[in-house]
Amino acid sequence: MPPEGGGHSGATRKAPEKASERLRRLLTVIPYLVRNQGTRVAEAADLFGMSEPELLADLDLLFVSGLPPYGPGDLIDVDIQDGRIWIGMADYFGRPLRLTRSEALAIYLRATVLAGAPGLEEAPALASAIGKLAEALGQETLGELPERVDSAADGRTPDTLGELRRAATDHERLRIEYYAASGAETTDREIDPEEVFFAVGNWYVAAWDHRSESERLFRADRIHAAAATGERFDPRGLRGAGRPLYTPKEGDVRVIVRLRPEARWVAEYYETSREQEMGDGRLEVELPAGRLEWLERLLLRLWPDAEVVDPPDLGERVRELADRTRQRYG
Amino acid sequence: MHPLERLVNLVALLLESRTPLTFDQIRSKLSEGYGHQDASSAKRMFERDKDVLRDIGVPIEVVSTDAWDVEHGYTIDKDRYYLPDIAFTPEELSALFVAVRSAGDVSAEEAVRKLLSGADRGILAGLGPPALGGETDPNLSRAAEAVAEGRRVRFAYRTSRGDRSDRSVDAFGLAVRGGHWYLVGLDLDREEIRSFRLSRISDDLEIAGEGTEPPEGFRAAEHVQAGPWGPGDAEATATIAFAPDVAWWATEGVASAETVRTLEDGWIEVRVPWSPGEGLIPWILSFGPDAEVVEPPELRSEIIGRLEAILAS
Repeated sequence: MPPEGGGHSGATRKAPEKASERLRRLLTVIPYLVRNQGTRVAEAADLFGMSEPELLADLDLLFVSGLPPYGPGDLIDVDIQDGRIWIGMADYFGRPLRLTRSEALAIYLRATVLAGAPGLEEAPALASAIGKLAEALGQETLGELPERVDSAADGRTPDTLGELRRAATDHERLRIEYYAASGAETTDREIDPEEVFFAVGNWYVAAWDHRSESERLFRADRIHAAAATGERFDPRGLRGAGRPLYTPKEGDVRVIVRLRPEARWVAEYYETSREQEMGDGRLEVELPAGRLEWLERLLLRLWPDAEVVDPPDLGERVRELADRTRQRYG
Repeated sequence: MHPLERLVNLVALLLESRTPLTFDQIRSKLSEGYGHQDASSAKRMFERDKDVLRDIGVPIEVVSTDAWDVEHGYTIDKDRYYLPDIAFTPEELSALFVAVRSAGDVSAEEAVRKLLSGADRGILAGLGPPALGGETDPNLSRAAEAVAEGRRVRFAYRTSRGDRSDRSVDAFGLAVRGGHWYLVGLDLDREEIRSFRLSRISDDLEIAGEGTEPPEGFRAAEHVQAGPWGPGDAEATATIAFAPDVAWWATEGVASAETVRTLEDGWIEVRVPWSPGEGLIPWILSFGPDAEVVEPPELRSEIIGRLEAILAS
């Protein structure tokens, strides 16, 4: 099922930080600063996912730390000038801490998901990176995992993936042919692609759609062709990775259907806003929908394993669709 | 003294000390941190600090400092503290960054930052944009632990048809398919290797002791089935005509689909693999009037029969 929104926004992490969190971060940032003398404050903050004031506050504490007897020659030397950081007398913090088991598992699993994403240009590099990681961390950290985790090739390779990612990086407007499943039609449109990401087995593009003058999420494999326009755009800061895949809109219809066991996969494949067991093996689900065309087609394919509860005329629309389809066969 | 400063000093002290230090030695050297309280509250503070350090993965060890095992000292083993140098290429590091740098998975982000911090700046010049959403299954890390350690697990499972039952499984492996994780292992009641989609496992996956070894040559991905949508394995072929709007989409979705010809009205005939009884009919119907079976005749009449049943309902 598509991921739920919220729960990981930056705002939730702004509670007063525990010393352990700050220490964890500090022991990670210092080695980088020691190895890369003269790093810009802004660059370090960005790279390590903290704000500049947070970084400066941590460095403030660092330069009163060091080794006994904590005389002038024993303390860590932190020098910040013209927005750049120099750190001396901290060779013992010159390398980061080893990865904990849960960190190692997390990175390994995520990298495996992405290495199996169809069409990712970096997949070979990713595969060799996790290979090196497994070798360096060894069995103590990863156990048997490297031998036993796989990704099964699946899904379509979007032909346009490389072009989409390039255009998102270069902020270049694209002209695309898009098969919109919601309306079951292919349309031409111009989009400003801001972020390309992989979620629940598919590649998506978060983009500004000039046809509807609104923010839209496009599934990359449904983009038939993408042509560069040569026009640049100013990013609007659209959210990509981690966002919910369906954004409820005003005017959405709440469709309620009952699924027999054979059709229950629908509840795992599409975003539902409510699910309720009927007690006889059937599941009643509420599907938010902007347009009904895709649902008519879904119900046509599911028949007789799905029953429409609401809106009442949807059943009639499915029969009309069946009638139009039947007419093709003479 | 700020707790963070005390903790940094403690790590530095233990990393740089050539010999293990007893608590009294630590207290006298780090008197700013532990010297102000009476000995027992200072010890409690030190114990809490030690827990914090262990929590974030600092390998503090307790060793005896005399031959009679009376006095104990604390030390940090440098080999277990420092991340070994890993010779990543810029492309590899960038790829890891792409995989991990996004909202949602704190552990993975922390991990990649540690890897970055062992890198030189030049290597970071071409970092790609993040590419992976933050979806996390609460059971995934527990299942991964079980696989890493070769454990037996117990959980309540709901099949795709909605049937529920309790399972005992020796965790052999994990496979990801279509963006979903599956636990693959020996189902002890059914006495065969089965795959379990993690999103259908109830939240209380628990470790139930040692598991058995997977068979020789085991590969988790081989045990994960495709979803119930889309056409199945090939036995025969069917020819279907698609409207111009949907033809490209329909054919790209099917491995080994072949375009036969384009008709005068722009419709495109496509040959696809077909096994009688498989999921091809629902798939064709999902295109509504934008798809028409050309042959074989028995598939045509099955579609017509289905449509007439809908019309009569």
